[in-house]
Amino acid sequence: MSLAAAIRSRDVSTLPSRRDEGWRWSELASVVRAAPPLAGAITVASGGGPFAELTADEEIVFANGQGDASPLVVEGERTVKLRFVTRADAAASLSAVSILVKAGGSLTLLESYEGEGEAYVADASLDIQLENGARMERIVVAEDAETAVSVSTAQVRLSANADYAQAVFATGAKRQRIETRVQHPGAGAALRMDGVYLVGGHRHADLTTAVTHAGVDGTTSQMIKGVAAGSGRGVFQGLIRVAHGADRTDARMRHDALLLSDKAEIDAKPELEIFADDVSCAHGNTVGALDDAAIFYARQRGLPLHEARVLLTEAFVGAVIERIEHPGAREVVAALAPRKLEALTC
Amino acid sequence: MLSIENLHVTVAEKAIIRGLSLNLPAGEVHAIMGPNGAGKSTLSYTLAGRDGYEVTEGSAVLDGVDLLSLNASERAAEGIFLSFQYPLEIPGVPALTFVRAALNAQRKSKGEPEISAPDFLKRAREVAGSLKMDFEMLRRGLNVGFSGGEKKRMEIFQMAMLQPRLAILDETDSGLDIDALRIVAEGVNALRAADRAMLVITHYQRLLDYIRPDRVHVLAGGKIVASGGPELALELEREGYDRYSKAAA
Amino acid sequence: MAAVKETVRTVEGLGEGYAHGFVTDIEQEFAPVGLTADTVRYISAKKNEPEWMLEWRLAAFERWLAMDEPDWAKLNFPKIDYQAARYYAAPKTDGPKSLDEVDPELLAMYEKLGIPVREQAVLAGVEGAPKYAVDAVFDSVSVVTTFKAELAKEGVIFCPISEALRDHPELVRKYLGTVVPVTDNYFACLNSAVFSDGSFVYVPPGVRCPMELSTYFRINASETGQFERTLIVCDKGAYVSYLEGCTAPMRDVNQLHAAVVELVLMDDAEIKYSTVQNWYPGDKDGKGGIYNFVTKRADCRGDRSKVSWTQVETGSAITWKYPSCVLRGDGSSGEFYSIAITNNFQQADTGTKMIHLGANTKSRIISKGISAGHSSNTYRGLVSAHAKALGARNFTQCDSLLIGKDCAAHTVPYIEAKNAQSTFEHEATTTRLSDDQLFYVMQRGLSQEEAVQLLVNGFVKDVLQQLPMEFAVEAQKLVAVSLEGSVG
Repeated sequence: MSLAAAIRSRDVSTLPSRRDEGWRWSELASVVRAAPPLAGAITVASGGGPFAELTADEEIVFANGQGDASPLVVEGERTVKLRFVTRADAAASLSAVSILVKAGGSLTLLESYEGEGEAYVADASLDIQLENGARMERIVVAEDAETAVSVSTAQVRLSANADYAQAVFATGAKRQRIETRVQHPGAGAALRMDGVYLVGGHRHADLTTAVTHAGVDGTTSQMIKGVAAGSGRGVFQGLIRVAHGADRTDARMRHDALLLSDKAEIDAKPELEIFADDVSCAHGNTVGALDDAAIFYARQRGLPLHEARVLLTEAFVGAVIERIEHPGAREVVAALAPRKLEALTC
Repeated sequence: MLSIENLHVTVAEKAIIRGLSLNLPAGEVHAIMGPNGAGKSTLSYTLAGRDGYEVTEGSAVLDGVDLLSLNASERAAEGIFLSFQYPLEIPGVPALTFVRAALNAQRKSKGEPEISAPDFLKRAREVAGSLKMDFEMLRRGLNVGFSGGEKKRMEIFQMAMLQPRLAILDETDSGLDIDALRIVAEGVNALRAADRAMLVITHYQRLLDYIRPDRVHVLAGGKIVASGGPELALELEREGYDRYSKAAA
Repeated sequence: MAAVKETVRTVEGLGEGYAHGFVTDIEQEFAPVGLTADTVRYISAKKNEPEWMLEWRLAAFERWLAMDEPDWAKLNFPKIDYQAARYYAAPKTDGPKSLDEVDPELLAMYEKLGIPVREQAVLAGVEGAPKYAVDAVFDSVSVVTTFKAELAKEGVIFCPISEALRDHPELVRKYLGTVVPVTDNYFACLNSAVFSDGSFVYVPPGVRCPMELSTYFRINASETGQFERTLIVCDKGAYVSYLEGCTAPMRDVNQLHAAVVELVLMDDAEIKYSTVQNWYPGDKDGKGGIYNFVTKRADCRGDRSKVSWTQVETGSAITWKYPSCVLRGDGSSGEFYSIAITNNFQQADTGTKMIHLGANTKSRIISKGISAGHSSNTYRGLVSAHAKALGARNFTQCDSLLIGKDCAAHTVPYIEAKNAQSTFEHEATTTRLSDDQLFYVMQRGLSQEEAVQLLVNGFVKDVLQQLPMEFAVEAQKLVAVSLEGSVG
């Protein structure tokens, strides 16, 4: 049962456990032992959050789950901020939003998870649909409290010739999962599914994606980079499924992770499920430490060890950030990364 | 030797070759020149029997044998060799193994016994030597990790090993530097023989400085629009294809 | 290429595809149909086992009753009725004392399969050809084991496991079930209760086994499952290369093969384990074939020990198999080389687990999956490095080749890294047999069938070359036969 359903029904007995294949590394059963009450109302001033400096056509705020739940319909070119703000202790917030980008429309979604408090439980669900030839770039910055449980699930349906790109920047929580499931029709639609997770302390971040190519001539490109330090744990589960007859699909998935501490952990499952023969699919996965030779090289040029590590780690995740198209969002994430890394690598 | 009459070819339901006729006698080398999109590669793939190249009209006959009724390997056994513009990489199959398998398959279809290992290796060494190829390259996966020039040299190596009756060289000069071009051309010239014909397909005249054709044909809009001696190539080099492209359109 | 020619000839000669599908007509005795504690007692009594072994089996049976059949693999098959099968079938004799006493029908069968069960047959072979000793398991019993005396001179024990239970009970008891615990999984637990025969190998410290050892498994009886159990113990500094082959008659009804193989390696020991699995795969419509549920695991207990699994999986209707390495000893290493081919309606879910526990442990996985027809082929693998496995390294290359639009290929790797000094690399590709490559090869004169075989042999070459020479040749032929009729 989903987290939202468990909170609504106040029945946590069916929350995913380690035995549930899709949650083996991010089970919720042991971290949400009792159903928390719904969090009370709060007031959130507009104009805050990680994208505060950027201008947008519209700002949608869910404050402890309360917000304008009417569908966001986009025609023409729009930039929209979507903020999920939770300020609660041992209470739950549930948010749901649906987005429709009309044919020929273009949306830049600046999405943020802004959490403060102790042991709150947050669930957000997004339903995203792109009509023919629509474009969308979704940039997600997720900053939750270390003791929080936060799950975001997006269902994305693409139409022919749509262009959907997302970049998720996750920093973890007690459990933080950002899941994206995409129905890809092929038909000239293009998909980019990028992400970065940076976890330290006792934080856990899970990027889960599932893409189903249902028709011919679709492309998917995925680049995920992760860094785990302290006792942090990073999880990447990526599935690309190519349905019977979805010929000429070109799908590439990459996940590379750095482990900066012997207590940290990275778990990955890059999965391909192919039911068509005229396809070109590949995935690559690496997990390891920073390259000693590169560190030595940087130090030989005078950088102290700590700076050398930050510099190299920044370069490592930078490859994903560079792929963000929206210049402002790219700058925001590019500025955020070193701050987070600085904290992780000391 | 090769006689093509009123050939029409469609690819993915698009007519590419539209009424091409050509006579190539034994012992001669003919060049086919033409602008991009004229149908040069289509012609070579059609003659070699690639799937998806549908002949809707016309004929192609090699010494009395109807080529169009044969599949690719049967045509190869009849002596047709296509030097690919973009030779394929075949991981895990060394070039030597590959060429020997091809040679023996062709011999088998002619009812000849397989070539012995020592004879094969001896010949392979001679040919590799003449093409200034490192013999060790022949032990690696065919064309895997080879440069463009090395791949082209490997095509000529195979041609020399297989001794075809009709060699079709599709843009053999592309991707070659001047030294490699000379070596490849020497390899081709060494194979000129009274009982062998060659069709040299090229966009540029450059290759024809090294492989002198007996005749030059201009292919535009899917048919031969002009034919002449070697001097025609020089004229094309000077004046371009515009005149012929317009004529074809 | 000689090999291609060879392959083509083999294919032509076979006609029918599966060459080992005949039934040997021989008088056999059977356990009654069904599975109860009495079946377990029956098997144990037939084998004259010590009391502790019966207790062990019965305990396993109790546990099995409480377990559920796993359903996580990408496999689809009707529910198995465990009560509809027989769990023991053996040729009717008191157990031959020498080769002369073996039923001539059986000897003729092995001759037909090309298995050298006569020592002189091997000796009479080509001068300088490597010898290999054979343990021939027919349904539930071993019918003959060759070269036992010669191996004994070196201190190497090679015998049926049922015989080892009688002659070397202390060794078997010490190691049996220590690598694959009784309750490890549903099929291993079933096997622990009803296993019939398989091989036992012990190589003493410092001994390099003087010849290849091999066990040849044959299912002959109908309605009968085969439950092989193999245990190989390689003591300090010892080395052994072991080969395993399997075939079965063509039958319309599915038959169950649930095996457990345990390998134990002490310091500096090395085991090379190769399998050519060619159980009857069912017919072209998916009727019949063996259900092959196998638990194979190596425990690298000793430092610097080394194990390598090589498998060529062409048979079985269903394959569920993950030969694994527990890299416990510091500096130990594990390798897994696999070719899995599925055609028609075959389904395979196979791969490996590399569990890095010790420091500086290394593992390498090369998997080549080929699916054709309506088949489904899944690579499933786990690589994990635990907190103490500092300096662990893994490299995985996992390639799938698709032939035809109705087949499926899946790649399901699990990677778990729990320390900052380990390095994992995983690369996977899925492609189809390219039309461009096929045309290129055919343009040089090879027929379509030859061209497919050439390309496929190139695709699997990295794994084929891991096999001992004799098996590599056989495996190459098998690859060709398995893909017969998959293109065109």
